[in-house]
Amino acid sequence: MPTRLPLLICLVSGVVMFLQYFSRHPVAKLIYQTVTNDWWQVIFAFTLIVGVASFIKITLRKISQKKDKTYSLIALGGLILMPVLALIGGTNIESPFQWAFENLLAPMQATVFSLLAFFVASASFRGFRARSIPAAILLGTALLVLIGRLPIAEHISESIPDLTFWIKNYPSMAARRAILIGIGLGSMTTALRVILGIERTYLSGK
Amino acid sequence: MSKDKIRWIIFAGLFLFVTLAYTIDIKMVSSPSYEVQKSFDYIESLPEGTILMVSFDHEASSLPEVQPISLVMIRHAFRNNLRIVGLSLFAEGTAIGYRTLNKIAAEYDKIYGVDYVFLGFKPQHIAAILGMGESIYDVFPHDYLGNLTDTIPIMIGIENYDNIEMVISITDGDRAVQWIEYAGPRYDQKVMTGLTAAMITSYDPYLSSGQLFSVVGGLKGAAEYENLYGVPGKGNRGMPAQTAAHLYLIVMIIIGNIIYFRNRKRQGRSS
Repeated sequence: MPTRLPLLICLVSGVVMFLQYFSRHPVAKLIYQTVTNDWWQVIFAFTLIVGVASFIKITLRKISQKKDKTYSLIALGGLILMPVLALIGGTNIESPFQWAFENLLAPMQATVFSLLAFFVASASFRGFRARSIPAAILLGTALLVLIGRLPIAEHISESIPDLTFWIKNYPSMAARRAILIGIGLGSMTTALRVILGIERTYLSGK
Repeated sequence: MSKDKIRWIIFAGLFLFVTLAYTIDIKMVSSPSYEVQKSFDYIESLPEGTILMVSFDHEASSLPEVQPISLVMIRHAFRNNLRIVGLSLFAEGTAIGYRTLNKIAAEYDKIYGVDYVFLGFKPQHIAAILGMGESIYDVFPHDYLGNLTDTIPIMIGIENYDNIEMVISITDGDRAVQWIEYAGPRYDQKVMTGLTAAMITSYDPYLSSGQLFSVVGGLKGAAEYENLYGVPGKGNRGMPAQTAAHLYLIVMIIIGNIIYFRNRKRQGRSS
């Protein structure tokens, strides 16, 4: 029974949501709106609670173990600071919350993201080598696309942007389409397996 | 030379190269790509008062790359007296969207609630996209400032996608894919996107199939759009730095390969 009930809920929910897609009946529409506007939001709210609780638990453990204590304290402080600022001063344009977002969070995140350029530069020097013919083809293509994305490309040669366009629209897109078709088929198969109760990892594999 | 020393030299070189390029004011003009021209022409062709939905679906980390796109596109829309319904399906995009809209609205003397509105953030993006196809009022009963959505002047009569001309998703990931896959086929909603350069290839199949109307991609896309709009902005300002970084990478790859082949030759001789 502890396993059958969730399996039954899963089967009924899956089949109902599948069938309602093809119907314009008011009941189907009501089910659809209730699920999308209410149920999913409620589930999300619970996942948020779980996420925040888990973050606090892990951070507190790190602080007690004196492992990255300073960083953990800053992270915990940030988690508390932003909602407090929003609750006290609101979220309108002149609020302290907006100031903190614009002047603390956004520059910090952009800084961390921009570090990627440094690692790419280092990796391109140390790792991007023409060790074999496929690697050489990949290298040549990468160089061409790198140049093709520059405004000076058309001034070097008019055929560079055309060639970049061709790479993007034929070999690259063919690979991308293959991946997308694979993902689509995989998603469908997994959905069917879950609905039919074959895939039970969400029940700890029981 | 130790690996760490080489790494630091590469880092310092990139820093100097990019900083230098950023401080020098060079104008780099390139012809607009087909997609950017299509996006610009479409917005230019819309009659005054048309409603556009702009979704800020990105994090603060990608702000330097995607903000120039949202700035120029919203400026263009406001200059042509189009109306904007803003929202975010990414928690961090909420503050970004609200600030961006208010900032540009002030430049064009646009009034909140009449010319534009910001609905705020809704979690569970797929549910929100699907839900708005039936009723925007149900998904967003209140706007970001807590006003009842169905009483805001701009929102009166804007019940679902039937009343929205186009959704513009400003994204740094695959959120626009959800707009394409869920708002497109079921509700026949036209979708355009402004996104980071790294993500452009992910959207090519949707562009090719016609499911996605057009793309303004990366800093280069923003710069091209700004040139069409006639006022250079952050996109043009960032082009020399981006060009410098790309050239630096190309040089690094070439030097790395020269060293590799030289070492291989030496090893071949010694063996």
